[in-house]
Amino acid sequence: MSTKKIITLMMVLVISLSLVLSACGGGGTQKSSKVATLIFTQEPDTLNWLYSNMYFSQILAQVYNVWTWEYDDQNQPYPVLITELPSVENGGISADSKTITLHLRDDIVWSDGKPITSADYMFTYEMYINPVNTVSTTYPYDQLAGVETPDAKTVVMTFNEPFAPWLGFWKSLLPEHILRPVFEKEGTLDNAAWNKAPTVSAGPFVFKEWQSGSFLRFVRNDKYWGDKPLLDEIFVRIVPDDASQVAALKTGDGDLGIFISYPDIPGLEEAGLTIVSVKSGYSEGMFMSLSDKTNPALQDVSVRQAIAYALDREKVSKDLLLGKTRPGATLWDNSPYVDPTLTPYPYDPAKANELLDAAGWIDSNGDGTRDKDGVELVLRYGTTTKEVRQSFQAIAQQELAQVGIGIELFNYDSDIFFASYGDNGPTYNGDLDIFEWSDVPTSFPDPDIAYWLCSEIPSDENPQGLNAQYICDEELDGLFQLQTTQVDMNARIATFHQISKIMYDKVYWLSLWLDPDIWAVSSRLVNVKLSGSTPFYNVTEWDLK
Amino acid sequence: MTRYILRRLLQGIPLLFIISILLFVMLQNMGDPLATMGGRTVTRSEDRARLARQLGLDKPILVQYIYWLVGNDWTHVDVDGDGIAETQGIRKGVLRGDFGNSLVRRQPAMDVILDRLPNTLILMLTSEFVVIIGALVIGVYSAIKQYSLLDNAVTAFAFVGYSMPIFFIALSAMYIFAVNFKRWGLPYLPTVGMFDPQVGETPGQIILHLILPVLAISINSFSAYSRYVRSAMLEAMNQDYIRTARAKGLPRREIIFIHALKNASLPIVTVVGLDLPFLLGGALVTERIFAWPGMGRLFLDHVSRGDTPVVMGIMMLIAIAVIIFQILTDIVYAWLDPRIRYN
Repeated sequence: MSTKKIITLMMVLVISLSLVLSACGGGGTQKSSKVATLIFTQEPDTLNWLYSNMYFSQILAQVYNVWTWEYDDQNQPYPVLITELPSVENGGISADSKTITLHLRDDIVWSDGKPITSADYMFTYEMYINPVNTVSTTYPYDQLAGVETPDAKTVVMTFNEPFAPWLGFWKSLLPEHILRPVFEKEGTLDNAAWNKAPTVSAGPFVFKEWQSGSFLRFVRNDKYWGDKPLLDEIFVRIVPDDASQVAALKTGDGDLGIFISYPDIPGLEEAGLTIVSVKSGYSEGMFMSLSDKTNPALQDVSVRQAIAYALDREKVSKDLLLGKTRPGATLWDNSPYVDPTLTPYPYDPAKANELLDAAGWIDSNGDGTRDKDGVELVLRYGTTTKEVRQSFQAIAQQELAQVGIGIELFNYDSDIFFASYGDNGPTYNGDLDIFEWSDVPTSFPDPDIAYWLCSEIPSDENPQGLNAQYICDEELDGLFQLQTTQVDMNARIATFHQISKIMYDKVYWLSLWLDPDIWAVSSRLVNVKLSGSTPFYNVTEWDLK
Repeated sequence: MTRYILRRLLQGIPLLFIISILLFVMLQNMGDPLATMGGRTVTRSEDRARLARQLGLDKPILVQYIYWLVGNDWTHVDVDGDGIAETQGIRKGVLRGDFGNSLVRRQPAMDVILDRLPNTLILMLTSEFVVIIGALVIGVYSAIKQYSLLDNAVTAFAFVGYSMPIFFIALSAMYIFAVNFKRWGLPYLPTVGMFDPQVGETPGQIILHLILPVLAISINSFSAYSRYVRSAMLEAMNQDYIRTARAKGLPRREIIFIHALKNASLPIVTVVGLDLPFLLGGALVTERIFAWPGMGRLFLDHVSRGDTPVVMGIMMLIAIAVIIFQILTDIVYAWLDPRIRYN
């Protein structure tokens, strides 16, 4: 046979094989079981919540291991494992706000049929605070004075001081009857097989299989105590590339995707997918650093206000983000703690120039940027390598140049950008005058944020300090400490209005745009509602057309 | 030959030691694994300090390297943060086969790596096989039919394929053969993953999902390989022994495949020998785009999270493979060319 014939034969074989395999195995194959495919752009670190605060580990909780209370699509809490949310009125919260009592439902069971009891709560608490376990965070369990379990269905939490962010508890529950023997044998839960392959669960699905880097499978929990799920299986496919996620959603290789970038929205809608914007509490914002190392111009509130007036954030939301979001005013927009009287600074470059002139920042040497006392108004502005942030940086550089503020741009990978003072991270070391990321209150929708406290300012003595802004405002510090003790919601709201007003007036932080989670849902997956806190809270109602 | 192999293996030990020190020092300066712990918010300062202590990240770099190399079960560590090292260490160290626990996955680093190795080998060996066979067929044909229409066409294709970045080839292939084929109502290929969950993990599904990633890798690598084969064959075909073989009336097929190709194989073996160990590292871009769960993605994911145990494990595996494949390449040299001896 000639070489030409061999080549021809090989080509025919390859093409034929592709077409045959494609025709008989490609997308669209129908089987009787209902399998919804979720696309995650990152692989969960673990299925044991104690060991990861990673987003994709956390959002899976509602699939296989419910929270004690969850949040609906309006981010309102509702009881799941307990009979009612504790309050002062129903006696669940004591008059001095130092004791919170939970009453567990009678019908709740693990997927092996064993009842969920207060012993599971006590065990979970013990595992969080035991130093032999390298848990991702001990908060808020390290705020407890103790936990008591007077009977199998009652859990009593006691505090030394009133603790307002108590809704941050019990986002994970460990099966004591399964894991205590493991802990007693190994001396830690760090290496428990359960972390990767939970054998029992409290949620509507149970873990079936996890192939590293590829997929996770969860099948219906036939012993689930709540409403039975309509789907047979949840298949989580790991697709790290954004463009590939979009392609997979368009071809039906995925039914639900998250973190859709704004430019991809029109194409997905055209392909028949529904775009859902979920209020997750995140806001993209500029942090102003007042460290000794940063440009002294930022110590001047007029300069910070001028920056706010010089940036056309409405236009950015409209053009760069396709009008799918808007600028915010505070870190607590889209939450009950927002002060409705505060509105975003308007775009007013004339006002910015006026403020800078009045503060004595003028271009005395004609180099195009303002200066004062020999200090040039040139600011180092850093963020991560995320594309939309880099685009905004370029816009900000142009707009600030028009009012005489020079900008030098810096971009870093996340693990470098967020590296601590002790690890010489640029943000925490005061190497940047302005830094940008998207942030959310730690236990959203609870409003508490720790990194504005004076005690969090990084230093040689406090190398892990989180106050990268180096802002120690005593009034603000006092208010932040006060709100953590205000169990009464109205009092706490009033405190947050004061906090917001100070931060807004002094422009310690400037909202660029509210940063909702953008999800894409295929037309065949129905009844999907998504929450900003517990996204898959109604997973039992999901169905396939 | 045996002495030569043993000598080369012994030479590899200090080399691996030096490589491990260099890599370890470099990795310590690539970011803070506790910065976000993968979350969307920064880690609390108390948790950073506690985890740094529990995971041994607060130790000087030399101590961390010693723990990585020989373990810490000969000493005590401070687990509860009271300043007293009260708990016996449990790490055995690389020299006793313990690469440590992944900081991200909290499971043995070697388990994390070995989970991905088969997937990488499926993708990379298939691609390498397709590339080598394709390059041999096209390269030999181009050499014996120099400046023919096919030779010119393949040359042009090779240069285009070689000059296109692989992400462009991969995404183009995905959008043409999956997204657009579906839109046009044609049988279409899957975009991502290793199988369709509705069908299951069958050999047919895996082959189907291999087509696009293998195509992307092959187009890029095929171009270089086919040029090597072509030039080596052209050189061999002009040698005196080929003229002699022709004069003696040997069949053309025997001249090309037995005499010319075998002698032309030396430079090709060198290239393949250099490439093979890096197959273990997977295809970083292709695996990411096609969501193929291989070593390339594992490396990217974990290096971006500062997961030293896993990244060191991957790098050391590749370093060992490079040394072994270099020795194998030398052995193949001797087999192909009887003039080469290692005595």
